[in-house]
Amino acid sequence: METKSGPGTDAEAKLLSAFVVSSTFWLLFATAVGLLLSFKFPYPDLATSPYLSFGRLRAIHTNGTFYGFASIALVGLTFWVAARSSGVALQRRGLAWATLWAFNLAAVLGTISLDLGINNGDQEYREWVWWVEIFFLAAVVLALIVLVSTVAKRAEREIYIANWYTIGGCVFTVILGTTAILPWYQHGLGQVAVQAFYMHNAVGMWFTFLALGLTYYALPKLMNRPIYSYALGVLGFWTNLVFYPMIGAHHFLFSPLPWWFQTLAIVFSVGMLVPVWAGSGNFFLTMRGRWELVRRSQAAPFVFVGVLYYFIGSTQGTVEAFRGLQALWHFTSFTVGHSHLTMYGFITFIAWGGIYALLPLATGKKPSVLITGLHFWFAFLGVTIYVIALSIAGTMQGIAWASGNPFIASVESAAPYWLWRAVAGTMMFAGHVLFAYNVYLMTGARPARPAALAVSPA
Amino acid sequence: MNDVRILVAASAIVYGILALAMAVFPGLILSRTAPTPGLAPFTAQQLRGRDIYVSEGCAYCHTQQVRPLAQDRVFGRPAARGDFAYSTPELLGSERNGPDLSNVGARQPSAIWQYIHLYQPRSLVSASIMPSYAWLFEVKAHAAPGDLTVPVPAAYVARGHVVVASQDAQALVAYLLALKQAPLPKAKP
Repeated sequence: METKSGPGTDAEAKLLSAFVVSSTFWLLFATAVGLLLSFKFPYPDLATSPYLSFGRLRAIHTNGTFYGFASIALVGLTFWVAARSSGVALQRRGLAWATLWAFNLAAVLGTISLDLGINNGDQEYREWVWWVEIFFLAAVVLALIVLVSTVAKRAEREIYIANWYTIGGCVFTVILGTTAILPWYQHGLGQVAVQAFYMHNAVGMWFTFLALGLTYYALPKLMNRPIYSYALGVLGFWTNLVFYPMIGAHHFLFSPLPWWFQTLAIVFSVGMLVPVWAGSGNFFLTMRGRWELVRRSQAAPFVFVGVLYYFIGSTQGTVEAFRGLQALWHFTSFTVGHSHLTMYGFITFIAWGGIYALLPLATGKKPSVLITGLHFWFAFLGVTIYVIALSIAGTMQGIAWASGNPFIASVESAAPYWLWRAVAGTMMFAGHVLFAYNVYLMTGARPARPAALAVSPA
Repeated sequence: MNDVRILVAASAIVYGILALAMAVFPGLILSRTAPTPGLAPFTAQQLRGRDIYVSEGCAYCHTQQVRPLAQDRVFGRPAARGDFAYSTPELLGSERNGPDLSNVGARQPSAIWQYIHLYQPRSLVSASIMPSYAWLFEVKAHAAPGDLTVPVPAAYVARGHVVVASQDAQALVAYLLALKQAPLPKAKP
């Protein structure tokens, strides 16, 4: 068995670099699309073409950020975590490369087909038709094989908790994706029930599990101490697994789905406080007393914001699930703010923290301190303004509807805050360009210092 | 846990059971919901229009589900389970950047209004943020026999030109006008 503990082999560094570069491309592309969409609110006649229209680009933005950027970045990091935490080389590296190709093939085919108007309806996060989705599912199966093969060869007796989350996330997503594709139980209202399950689980059983797994590895490494509680990690794993699949119907409150089905979703949305507080509490307690270390690290501030927004965003999700508040906020921009608080504030910040923490270890090339700082502040202030603006916009819409004014009054009352959202989106996108330059420094640029084994002429 | 096979198997079994209970079985049962009495299946042209509605992502901004809440009364009666029997893929939607369309065929029955509004929404509602679907129309110097010309306000079309609705535009409007809630036999909450 080829074993190499420590920083990992050059082949692994190349693999991680390829995943990160690829994900960065999708981040830039999909958020450029998002930026265009945000400017279509104040300027609806901007870029009037079927291929640049709101109805087609919206799904390209969401699927591109989810399955292009976040999935590729997190899976690439997950491979690295599996090998390092197991103290062995990554097994089945060929399949790991195939994973990357399959993810990219899915994202390219998905983007093209959506832009041609070929989709599954507005069923959020599963707009890709089955012959696109199948490549994505293949990638997840391949990733699962790579992770299991690597963890099975580990030097330690115990499977480190990070790998529970990442292997679990792949298992759940294979089942979830299969459930979503099969057509026999998806007609009319039946499809609504499946969609309620799918859209929520795609977020909470895939991205959340990968991001938590990554944090369980990266945060102790950054803080130079073990995770505060292994048991809280295990508690979080099982409670997330059991509670999360029950809550999808809270996206369809007041819909014709059975009332008890909706109530069940609300009850378990409250139950979700257990895994969310167990996980975020565990991470905060790992950081406790070492704030100077957090402040001085390049990667740790990203992980800190990720954990903070995991806590805030998921707790907000529980509160939002109550009927009294859904009556106000359902169908408004508030929901879009919530999804950015979680998918961006939590998932994307954790992915960035993981990249800044692990990629320099793999390649021996460091990002620029100044650029990293600017990236952090643009992205952090950007998403914070974004979420606040849309939360206000959504509240204004809800109040306008409840006051019984003509519909257009809700559009007019939200309009100023939609403009703020476009400004915030511009800041976020500027952060992504800075991040891309850092990725170049960490992968493509010539190393600032000679690699450890390179023979350097005196 | 020190056996990766147990981890994979336990995760798969627990999640598999939950996926059956929360997605597959509810899907199976609710897929058999009988249509609301009086709800007509879509015609071939209306289905073509529905495909365009799906392709263009109309459902990202327009819901098709009226809630049993006071603020939704303007859109029609609360949705009943049987209303969706002919609606696959489902188009219930999740955002209302525009109004609900469950009953738009009854609320806005003018085909002419729908054509002008699709061509340029701001010609009718100045604060509207809906995209213009000009590509569903043809702008030409003279209408040919059989063309359906749309009386778009002069400010929104080049002088000496007419706007003609394509087959796709006609299908889409046919679909929109077909969106009428069937009356319920008795009042339900």
